[in-house]
Amino acid sequence: MDWRKVWVVARHEYLHSVRRPGFIIMTAIVPLFGILVLFVGTFFAGQASRLGDFFVEQFDSTSQRIGVVDRSGYFTPILPEYRERFLLYEGESEAETALLAEEVTTVLVIGEDYLETGRVVAVTKGSGFGSAAVSDSGSVRGFFVDHLLAGQVDPALQRRAANPMSVEPRVVSSRGESQGEGAWGFVFTFVVPYVLSIFLVMTIFISSGYLLQSVAEEKESRVVEIVVSSVRPIELMSGKVIGLGAVGLTQVMVWMLSAVGFSSGAVALLAVVGAASIPARVLILGVVYYLLGYTLYAILMAGVGALGATSQESQQLAGIFSMFAAVPYMISGFLFANPNALLARILSFFPLTAPTMMMLRLPLAEVPWIDVAGSIILLLLSIPVALWAGGKLFRVGLLIYGKRPTLKEIWLILREG
Amino acid sequence: MIIQVQDLVKRYGDFVAVDHLSFDVAPGEIFGLLGPNGAGKTTTIRVIMDILAPDEGEVTVLGQPPGRAKGQVGYLPEERGLYRNLKVLDTLVYLAELKGTPRGEARERGTALLERIRLEEWADRKVKDLSQGMQQRLQLVAAVIHDPEVLFLDEPFQGLDPVNVERVKSLIAEWHQAGKTIVLSSHRMNLVEVLCDRVLLINRGRSVLYGPLAQIKQAHAPHSIRVHAADLPLDLPGVIQVQPDDGAFNLTLVEGVDPKGVLRELLDRDVDLRAFEVAPVPLEDIFLAVVQDEDESEEGVNGLA
Repeated sequence: MDWRKVWVVARHEYLHSVRRPGFIIMTAIVPLFGILVLFVGTFFAGQASRLGDFFVEQFDSTSQRIGVVDRSGYFTPILPEYRERFLLYEGESEAETALLAEEVTTVLVIGEDYLETGRVVAVTKGSGFGSAAVSDSGSVRGFFVDHLLAGQVDPALQRRAANPMSVEPRVVSSRGESQGEGAWGFVFTFVVPYVLSIFLVMTIFISSGYLLQSVAEEKESRVVEIVVSSVRPIELMSGKVIGLGAVGLTQVMVWMLSAVGFSSGAVALLAVVGAASIPARVLILGVVYYLLGYTLYAILMAGVGALGATSQESQQLAGIFSMFAAVPYMISGFLFANPNALLARILSFFPLTAPTMMMLRLPLAEVPWIDVAGSIILLLLSIPVALWAGGKLFRVGLLIYGKRPTLKEIWLILREG
Repeated sequence: MIIQVQDLVKRYGDFVAVDHLSFDVAPGEIFGLLGPNGAGKTTTIRVIMDILAPDEGEVTVLGQPPGRAKGQVGYLPEERGLYRNLKVLDTLVYLAELKGTPRGEARERGTALLERIRLEEWADRKVKDLSQGMQQRLQLVAAVIHDPEVLFLDEPFQGLDPVNVERVKSLIAEWHQAGKTIVLSSHRMNLVEVLCDRVLLINRGRSVLYGPLAQIKQAHAPHSIRVHAADLPLDLPGVIQVQPDDGAFNLTLVEGVDPKGVLRELLDRDVDLRAFEVAPVPLEDIFLAVVQDEDESEEGVNGLA
């Protein structure tokens, strides 16, 4: 292998790709987004600590006014602190008129046997969604507890019964190190790494997609024959894999640096107390999985890309591999519930799904080390196999013009070389 | 010898594309690799260029196995194209670098070659902005950007208009004068025969005719001449038959008789000559005649079997 020629190909592919407008826009998105968040954050600096409350409020229905028809007597009169939101009505018909006139969004009809049965009828206009939201609301629960216990227990106990806990998220690693507290801790330990891992996975496909395109274009434009008269196919393929891998790595580095800059910027600018950095394992393993995943996919894409007669045809062929990589995304809803579920672990040991699966699992939980080691070893072992198969397809495919080989022909190529 | 091919065989499955082919290319000559489409010319070149591996036989390029001397060999493939989105000069520089030419040198040479083909103003434009003719000229100089010793031109006149054919011919002549060895491959024999010193004609992967062009032509020249004269003596030595034809005479000669001897005899006898011509035989006609003979003898053999 003439490494000087590999370098010439790699440099050509790199420089050609980083000048593409698509690459520049895609790479700039993350830092721009970070700058935007910091700008908005600084602007509302005083309210940064209330970020968590803000999210909670989005899902609460405190702004809605609620009508109450009280047949039990426990809620009459309404305590002064609830009078603004809860309106008492004599009868159901009166309350329903108010509901139709949109004076209230829900009417709670509290039966005479309330104490024994707890039965409350919630009447809403339109769908039943509003009544479900009301029954789940913390402030409505507080209304009931306060009225039932008013004057009967210690006021402090009453307040606690109405609002039994105020949860503050705090994340620690398996070694017991604190990784951040509060809403910002949640953002840095979960949101940022998760988004970052999705971007890494995207980069694998964007870079190997560039590779596919580059091979298919060279073949389609027929320039490949001049190229392979100058360099050996394995040198050409290696140069492309390295050059376009570096393109992806450039993108990843820009993103990671901006994510790190974003987190320290948040600490400096917003004075977020206890805000943590992105977990190092996510950053380091993220790069490892990116490199392994990209290399595996890139080699396979190069082989398959060389088989298509046109770039469109090559892309169709490469779709088989993209489908494998998409499987972990399809089960991501289920992953949130249990990132170490058996299916997730199995997919982490299958080379074509391992990079995506592991990148999605890493920010969600402490992944067992055996999964990390196992998936890395399997990826390392599968790369030479891919190189063998992809290299053969690449070498033979490059000079097949005008028609796509059948599966039988592909098998013959692999068998005979 | 610059190139030596000995008993080369290349198969695609059951199909034999090149069948025990042997030939040499001497330094500084223009060598014609000629034959109809599908004869095995491109496959032979691809083996010499180390793009395909031979199944049998031996090939050396500049005394080395194919692939070792890639930097000294230039190639204009039949299936050709360029990077459409790359700039004109960058394309030349990249292709030269792939051949091992240092970047700075490649840039200088690229600029000079663009001037030679009058594309210097297009150096910073993308290849896709060039017209078809311009792209073809660019492809041709891309084959010599690294200053090779040997140049393979596979169907160099394909798709060219007459003006560009002449331009390409003059470039080939120029490189030949500069001492480069050139191998021309074409199915348009009549177009390239004027350029070649020696030729190899192949058909169905096998050698049909091989040697200096002049010798081949002489060996296959028809034994006839055409004489325009008022009257002709019938007892000319070496002449078997004299046939009047539209105010002229067609003379059939005994095999091996030099037409110059007949001319001398006519002048000695003071015949009133207005024109004397040895009809030039196009290479293609020779090729067709030889191939036809071969096919007939093959059919005969098959028929007997």
